[in-house]
Amino acid sequence: MIRTRKTGVVLAISAACLTHSFAQEAAVAETEALAMDVPVLEEIAAKAGIEHRYTGPWEHFVGGGVATFDCNGDRLPDMAIAGGAGEAQLFANKSRAGGPLAFEAVEGGLPEGSLKGVTGFYPLNLDNDDHTDLIVLRVGENVILKGGPDCRFTRANRALAFDGGRAWSTAFAATFEPEQEFPTLAFGNYVDRSAAGSPWGTCHDNVLIRPGTGDVPTYAEPQMLTPGFCALSMIFTDWNRSGEPALRMTNDRQYYRDGEEQLWRVSPGRPARAYRRADGWKTVRIWGMGIAEADLDADGLPEYALTSMGDTKLQTLDDEADEASPVYRDVAFAKGATAHRPYTGDDLKPSTGWHAEFDDINNDGRQDLFIAKGNVETMPDFAAYDPDNLLLGTFDGNFVEAGALSGIALDRRGRGGAVVDLNMDGMLDLVVVNREAPVSLFQNRGAHTEFGPRPMGNWLQIELRQRGANRDAVGATINVKSGNDTRVRKVQIGGGHASGHLGFIHVGTGVAERAEIRIKWPDGEWSAPYRVFANNFVVIEKGSDVVQYWYPPETDKLR
Amino acid sequence: MRQSFSRLVILATASLSITLPHLAYGETPAPWSERAVFEHVDQAGFAGVLSKPELDALIAFGETLFAARFTTLDGAGRPMATQAIIPTKRKRAAPATFQRMAGLDGNSCASCHNDPVMGGAGDFTVNVFVSEGFNNADFDTTDPQFSNERNTNHLFGAGLVELLAREMSVDLQLIRRNALALARETGEAQRATLVSKGVRFGRITAKPDGLLELKEIDGVDTDLVIRPFSQKGVMTSLRQFTVNALNHHHGMQPVERFGARWTGETDFDEDNKSDELTLGDVSSLVAWQATLPPPGQMVPTNVDWQNAAKQGAEVFQTIGCASCHVPALPLNSLEFHDPGPLDAAGTLRIDETQSGAVYDLSLLDWAQNLPRNEQGQVMVPLFGDLKRHKMTDRQISAFGNELLSQRFVERDVFQTTELWGVGSTAPYGHRGDMTTFDEVIQAHGGAGRDAREAYLDLEDVDQSALIAYLKTLVIEQ
Repeated sequence: MIRTRKTGVVLAISAACLTHSFAQEAAVAETEALAMDVPVLEEIAAKAGIEHRYTGPWEHFVGGGVATFDCNGDRLPDMAIAGGAGEAQLFANKSRAGGPLAFEAVEGGLPEGSLKGVTGFYPLNLDNDDHTDLIVLRVGENVILKGGPDCRFTRANRALAFDGGRAWSTAFAATFEPEQEFPTLAFGNYVDRSAAGSPWGTCHDNVLIRPGTGDVPTYAEPQMLTPGFCALSMIFTDWNRSGEPALRMTNDRQYYRDGEEQLWRVSPGRPARAYRRADGWKTVRIWGMGIAEADLDADGLPEYALTSMGDTKLQTLDDEADEASPVYRDVAFAKGATAHRPYTGDDLKPSTGWHAEFDDINNDGRQDLFIAKGNVETMPDFAAYDPDNLLLGTFDGNFVEAGALSGIALDRRGRGGAVVDLNMDGMLDLVVVNREAPVSLFQNRGAHTEFGPRPMGNWLQIELRQRGANRDAVGATINVKSGNDTRVRKVQIGGGHASGHLGFIHVGTGVAERAEIRIKWPDGEWSAPYRVFANNFVVIEKGSDVVQYWYPPETDKLR
Repeated sequence: MRQSFSRLVILATASLSITLPHLAYGETPAPWSERAVFEHVDQAGFAGVLSKPELDALIAFGETLFAARFTTLDGAGRPMATQAIIPTKRKRAAPATFQRMAGLDGNSCASCHNDPVMGGAGDFTVNVFVSEGFNNADFDTTDPQFSNERNTNHLFGAGLVELLAREMSVDLQLIRRNALALARETGEAQRATLVSKGVRFGRITAKPDGLLELKEIDGVDTDLVIRPFSQKGVMTSLRQFTVNALNHHHGMQPVERFGARWTGETDFDEDNKSDELTLGDVSSLVAWQATLPPPGQMVPTNVDWQNAAKQGAEVFQTIGCASCHVPALPLNSLEFHDPGPLDAAGTLRIDETQSGAVYDLSLLDWAQNLPRNEQGQVMVPLFGDLKRHKMTDRQISAFGNELLSQRFVERDVFQTTELWGVGSTAPYGHRGDMTTFDEVIQAHGGAGRDAREAYLDLEDVDQSALIAYLKTLVIEQ
């Protein structure tokens, strides 16, 4: 271990090369060398009322998603968790501000017929009412569930003229195109099991469905996105700051032939079209499992983490290429974010990465990267003990592993997940859906010290509201400026691995105790700056010249 | 480099000897050493309510730091860091170590806070230039488009001021919590008046879904934290202000904000000195400032002055000065917790250390003479309300001479100046550019306009009496 003067930069002997005991010693040394806060993440799923597994045969080797969103109007994130061959479950969040995480299963919240075969969930307010709806990805018919009060959902496929198909769906993304009242939906499909020669080279096409015209949403006219290459994650992304999101897909090379990663141009009123070589798109072939997007350098051009078997890619737009071309460089190695094999334990085989998500889990103002890991099932050439990664962003723009130090290095096969503040204390908690193992629920206790957890940096959580269409402002950009630092977040539905979030957007602000927020609304309009104090939940309504703060329910009653 | 932990006997001002835990330099400095800081206080060495000898020892060390003329051997200078309160790198090295505008602009705390004694205010010559320093780190002009020029405030009674602000913040936040709880319970919006210690801060409206409307809040930040320090009332605590000032004015960077935890570096300002001031060092400075005695009211030996001051005290009330310059606010507790309860990350917080200390101000001699009301509360004679007011209007705008807002507070909005000690701290006004009380009273516009007009309507003898009264509010020497 070499500690430089800039102690955020840790030149570590790869822990994967060490014996277990030596690795533990190295971990202690690394704690000392890590300058930034390392969160204490305590696994308390059973105690918090979450008992759930993602199970099933081959079709459920992939998937295993979770949606975190509010389904009962209290603004606390509730959870819908895929069960694979088992039943999906809905859990209502009963936590109180800063208290222990507490959930209750919502019996009957999800309708019969949509509970089994579920690979993932994405929350989305599809019909612009007061309740968030749910997109249910399944092996077989996909389902759209209309949200009602008190976490009650009803099937809406027929009302929406939505044909859920028979495919094996594993990815989803949504966007609101210009002038549209209702969202455009994209479904990513995996192997077509009924095709000749399956599974090899038989990836299903993916689907783009624009809303029909009319006062109520209808989804009767899908566009097949051909060819499909077994998408395991997709996201609408404004990759070139054009204001027109394109559809990025990450695809699993395990099953495609002559496939690659894909980016689809989705221009309003025109059929989606894949970027080609002539557009500058370069062939990248990975076992693409999950996408996470973040604008790490706040230049308006997002970076993408792509999980895979072996190394994770961290792509940034190549600044030496034609700026109109989607040419990407992989900077994962340079930034210490490859996460290519287990960082602890004796298993030196390559990793298998799934859900990826950027957020600032230690509130130091730098984005961190969570990656769920786990062997597909029993693939002998890949690590069997493959703990999830927590790559903390360092002050020089790199990443350093803190999975073992934080407490998340469990011997479970991770799939989907969510990095989200569940007890509204400003510190991000972590949910990981595991294959054939209990869901992991980690409560963030604060930064590790010798005397116990201590508070971490400052934070903000921001909720955007619009009247009329697109109430949650999907597609909006949030700029949070403190001093010279600008932190950028997007409101997006998609990405990760079969897992989505809707609700407060979290921003760590480090030592900044106040910030100026500007919103680029989905229609391109920039807001005036809003001045807010850190460590608050901020609700911003489009058109309003003032914000409102929101306060979570507390345990004790005063007066 | 610090190499060892040991304990050092420090002779406290009360002539008691007490061991104060400290971190010593490896070598013993020669008596002629050009260092100003010979050892550092170890925060881990003290916790809980400090005994009088412990407190005295800490205060004594704080006094040495407050008076210290920091040198480059201590870490003075910040060649690659700006004056900003959020650690910010310069794009290029500062062209000069000292520079009156962007700093370094002082060699020691006491080089500005010295009138009439150490800890006091400063003349116009030691005005400081307040700029958040993110984009204009190297400004070298007094043009107000780059910074706000501010006079140096005195620090006497600062511990009591912070304690008042803490209690008032608790009051306001309790009103908020109750309004939210009631709104959730009843399903109906609750509009509540924010009032603490008789000072009103507007209203809030709590909604059943937990949302809080902020637009009617008046004179306090939207998080309902009273920030009692600086001319604007934008700094939460002595500790926060101290950390800011040590970097801004001296380039001495405390670890609690500029250390590796928040910057990734132990030498953020790149002056080849690591971890320049410890948690304990800052605590000692806080202890010294927090325990400075409050200014008082002197009784003139001149009988005419005595009589005039007595008459002036009545005038002060009748023309409305006392509506903002409230003569005294009640304080429940003299226990000064350091770190305090309201600071945000970047200033040491209570739960960040095992060794938070309590400075019991009632142990101090001056505390014995503090007036108390019937409820036993200390009546802190600060002549202020710890509230911000707009101080200009269309006709009277002398206090609107700044061009930059500061930390969300508009350019012509200032916290009520506490008048205790005002008889010792001319010149006046936030820029220190008014030489007489008459000038500064006449500069009151906006929220102070009615009192100003009432003052102008006074007979000469009453105007003179008011000034006689203000002249009795002095810092004891």
